[in-house]
Amino acid sequence: MKKEVDARGQACPRPVIMTKKALDEISEGIVTTIVDNEVAKENVSKLAKSLGYEYSVDKNGENEYYIHINKGQVMEETNVCVPDTFKDMTIAFSSNTMGGGSEELGKILMKSFIYTLTESTPYPSTLVFYNGGVHLTCEGSPVLDDLKKLEEEGIEILSCGTCLDFYKIKDKLSVGSVTNMYSILEKLKNPTKTVIIG
Amino acid sequence: MEYKEYGVVTFESTHHAIRGEKILENANLKFKTIPTPREITSSCGLSIRFDLDDIDKVKSTILENELAIKGLYRMSKIDSKNHIEKIN
Repeated sequence: MKKEVDARGQACPRPVIMTKKALDEISEGIVTTIVDNEVAKENVSKLAKSLGYEYSVDKNGENEYYIHINKGQVMEETNVCVPDTFKDMTIAFSSNTMGGGSEELGKILMKSFIYTLTESTPYPSTLVFYNGGVHLTCEGSPVLDDLKKLEEEGIEILSCGTCLDFYKIKDKLSVGSVTNMYSILEKLKNPTKTVIIG
Repeated sequence: MEYKEYGVVTFESTHHAIRGEKILENANLKFKTIPTPREITSSCGLSIRFDLDDIDKVKSTILENELAIKGLYRMSKIDSKNHIEKIN
C-alpha cells in the first residue's frame, strides 16, 4: 500500500496532521509526504521517529522534500538503544522563572535547576519549552551553556514555534529545534513521567 | 576517568547570594549560580561556582564589596564523587 500526501503550501502543523492521518488509514506500507520547507520536513520526520517507523528524506530542488515513511517496518524497539543514562521522562518549562512569587528569585532558581539537570543522571529524555519558557533556549539566556551541554549528551530540546514567533525571537533560537503543539502533546503524554516547571 | 575542579562560594542567606551574583557580574568574572553542593550543606541554598584560576580576583572582590560569605571551597570531582576542601 502506497500513499502520497501533498502538504506543500500547508501551514504548521497541518503537514504533520495530514501525515498522521494517512498513516492511520493504512495497515502497512509507505506514506510519502511532500513539503516545501525545512521546518515541516523536520516535524514530519520527527513524527515518523516518534512513532518508531523507518523513514528517509529526499530533497528535490531548493524547497521540496519527500519524506518516505515505512509503516510496515517498525524499528527495533526504539528504547532498546536508549542508554540507561536516560529516563523516559519529559520536563516542560512554561516560563523562564521557577515558581510564582519574586521574579528575581524565580530566574535564579531556574538557572540553578537547569544547572542541576546537567549534574544528575539519569537525564530526562526530553525538555520542552513553551510560552515564556522559550526565552531560555534563545540568545541571551543565562542557561544556554547548560542546555547545550545537555543537548550534546543526547537530550532532545524542543521549543514551541508559535511562542518563538509570538515573542519575535524565532531567529534567536540557540539550542535544540522548533516544534509544534502536536509534538508537544506527544512529548507530554507519552513518557512514563512528565514534570512541568514554570 | 573524569576529573573536574572548581571553586564554590557559599553565603549566609539567599539575599546575600543574589547580591554576590550581581557583584561578581559587575567584576566581569565568569561564574555560575548553583545549588549549594550537598557535601557542604544539605539545606536548600544558593552558591556561586567559579573557575579556580580566578580565586584571587574572587577573594578581592568579596573583600572590596564586604560581601557576607559563609565559606569558600575547592570542589574536586572525580567521576561522580565529590571531594570538598575549605579554602581560607
